Parts: sequence; C-alpha cells; structure tokens
Amino acid sequence: MELHLNRPNDAPAVLDFHRFVLLFNHSFTDRIRFVGELELEHAFVEGLEAAGELELEQAYLDFLISRAVNVRAGMLLMPLGILNERHEPPVFQGVERTFVDTVIIPTTWFEVGAGVHGEVGRGWRYRAYAVAPLNALEFSAEEGIRGGRQKGAEADVSNVAYTGRLEYLGVRGLQLGVGGWRGESGFAVPRLDSEVWLAEADARYRLDRLELRAQYAHVGITDAARLNDAIERTTGVSPNIARQLRGFYLEAAWRVWNGGPARDVVVFARHENFDTQFRMPEGYIPLEEFDRTAWVVGATYYPDPDVAVKVDYTTLKSRSGFVRLPRSLNIGLGWWF
Amino acid sequence: MISSFSIVQSLLLFLFLQSTPRIVQVEAERFDFAPSRITVAPGEEIELHLTSADTAHGFKVAGTDINVEIPKRGQGEVVVRFKADGDGPWRFECSRMCGAGHHFMRGEIVVKTPKEKDRP
Repeated sequence: MELHLNRPNDAPAVLDFHRFVLLFNHSFTDRIRFVGELELEHAFVEGLEAAGELELEQAYLDFLISRAVNVRAGMLLMPLGILNERHEPPVFQGVERTFVDTVIIPTTWFEVGAGVHGEVGRGWRYRAYAVAPLNALEFSAEEGIRGGRQKGAEADVSNVAYTGRLEYLGVRGLQLGVGGWRGESGFAVPRLDSEVWLAEADARYRLDRLELRAQYAHVGITDAARLNDAIERTTGVSPNIARQLRGFYLEAAWRVWNGGPARDVVVFARHENFDTQFRMPEGYIPLEEFDRTAWVVGATYYPDPDVAVKVDYTTLKSRSGFVRLPRSLNIGLGWWF
Repeated sequence: MISSFSIVQSLLLFLFLQSTPRIVQVEAERFDFAPSRITVAPGEEIELHLTSADTAHGFKVAGTDINVEIPKRGQGEVVVRFKADGDGPWRFECSRMCGAGHHFMRGEIVVKTPKEKDRP
C-alpha cells in the first residue's frame, strides 16, 4: 500500500492513495502453485474517465519441476530491472519509483505469456518467457514505450515477444542482473515492421549499513520514422518518437540507525539521467526537454520492517532552456503484510 | 598421570566437536535465500541459523517436518537442525507469502562426499 503527498514548487499539493495491492496464492499441490496480484491505483476507478486503474498485475500458475527448470504461465511480470518484480514500498528508497523504472522500463510491466525459470550452479538464476508484444501505436515522446503495454487485455499476439533475465546471487549481499526484451510491435499498422528491443543491467550491493544500487537501460525502436508517419496520419500530430531511449541511475543508501524495528532510519541520495529521445530517426530533431536529470535525496523511517515512512526532495531538470521542470517535496507512507 | 588426563581431555573435546553440528548461516531477503544451495556430507547434521534482512519469511524443507517462520529484520533468528539421512537433495522454500516474487524463494540441500565437496 502506498499513500503519497506530492508538493511541487509550481502546482498545488496532491494527496493520493497511489496503490492498494492484494496478493493471493494457493498451492494445488507441492508442485503446482498459483500467485495473483490485483492492484488498484489512485483509489478510484470510473468508466470512460481518466482516473484510477484496476490492474491484474500477476495471475500465473507455476509448475515446479526441478531446481533448474520450472514452467510458469499466465499474467507475468517482465523480468526487467530492479523494481519491476520487486516493488513492495519498503523495498525501494524514495516516495515514487525511479524515473528510469517509469519511462525507460515501464514498471509495472506485466503481460500474458509463458516460459521457464530456475536456478543453476552456485547462485545463477534465470527466467525466459514468451509474452504478448507492445503496441507501438501507443508510444510517446515523453514516456517512451510505456503506453504500449497491452496489459493482457485482449492482447494482440499475432507476433510474440521474448524476454529473459539472468541473475547472479552467489556472493552474499551482491545481486547482479541483466535482462532483455525483444518483440515486433507494429502489428496495429499494416506493413510496419517496428521491432522493439530493451536491454538492461542492474546491480545491488549491501554491506552492513550501506546499500548501493545501479541500473542502466537502453531501448531501441526500429523503423521509428515510419512509426511516426503512421501515428501522424491517425492523429494529425507527429509524436516525435525516438529510435533509441536510454536511462541510468546510481543510488547510495546508509542505515543511520541500525537497531532493528522502531530504530531504523535510512538516508539516501539518487542520481538519474533519462532521455526518451536519445537517438532520433533521420529527419527528426530531438527535443532537449526530454533529456532529463534528477536528483532525489531523502530518508525512510521504518517503525517496523514492513512499514516505511518516507520523505524526499526531488529536483528534475532538462537540457532545454525553455522548459522548467518542477522540484517537489514528497512524503509517503508505505506498508506491506 | 597428567599426560593421560590430557589425552582424555582431548578425546572428550574431539567427541564433543564430532557431536556438535556445523552451523550454517542463512539469510532470507525478498526474494532469495543466501546461500540457496547448502552442501552436506552423508549423514551430517547441520544447524541452520535463519535470519531475515527484511520482512518475515518462512523456511520449509520438503519431505521433513521443518517449517518455521523467520522473524523480521532485527527481531532475532530461528535455529533448526537438519540431518542428511538419505541421498537428498532436499528442496527448501519460503512458506510465508512475502511479496510479488515469493515463489522465487527456493533452494536445496545437497549431499556430497568430502571429495566431491572439494571439487569446484
């Protein structure tokens, strides 16, 4: 559960019950399991209006065969980045999720599909899924591929996308991961071969009071010029979609008080850079307002390991001399049980 | 007299060490156990000291009666003993729903002879 108060410097404060999540699980047998995750965003859903969202983020069956190979099918979380599969509010620092995990890797990214997962050797873990692709007609200059998620809602699977992740967990405190996604995403437009790929690498390291995180993500969209033409013919406006997007962040967190429940305070600082117009198709000019940098500094107080009281100050800047992005004070309350 | 006392003392110490199970520290964190693969000698008894780096987790070893709750971070540890009676392997997993990736939290206890354990 996440409750946020966002106070930008140039707009009224907003109080939002951002996420209310219900998790379900059931074991049919020791080897056949079900997991479901239903999420209500922004507390309120009303038909035909831009309000909240009710999302089925996970609903899959796991067929547990062996340590090395297991089969999973249903609504799956894409195995990309640090946050997409690991987004309980006490797990990450800051009131809002990272910008990179919002506009470069569009968390929470979930799709219908099936695949295999398992662990091999000493601490090597993998996932490999075939899933429904993105819909390139919904891409945008500002939010990249985020709008293209089909979310398992009567998803067009005339083409199939593939995604996977390899993690190394063999050293205590260290988690390294690389992930990828590739799929033909121009199915909504005849004769458009717009393939999308995403590659990312991430690392987490925890040593005593210190926790470090780093992530890099890069997206490629082939035939972006024809995709822009196709959208312009439909809407009358060129969306100025890039052929490459990329972002990264570095975060350091320090546990100031390390005394367990009721005495746990973590301070952190995070630097992010994300550009949804990193490389443009020939003939298109990148808008500098989409090359953005963020500094987020703040603290999290844990009265219980499952309850996080968060405060941060976020400074967002772009390379554009004309567009001023807001600075904001954010306060959040997150809990999990 | 003194030397035979020392021999008895050493023998008792040897027997004590032989009967004391090896301690294995296991840390649970969303969504993995570290280590997730524990190697034991045939018939060896080990003592698992289980802690959490975040929320409460479960620790269940399939095919045994071991199924305990690991307390939340900062709330101590739970200790269980496991004896490798058989060839294994024994699968273990988190038995308490701990988040979106709960079902990734699995591991195994494998039996290897000392020679096999030395191999990379």
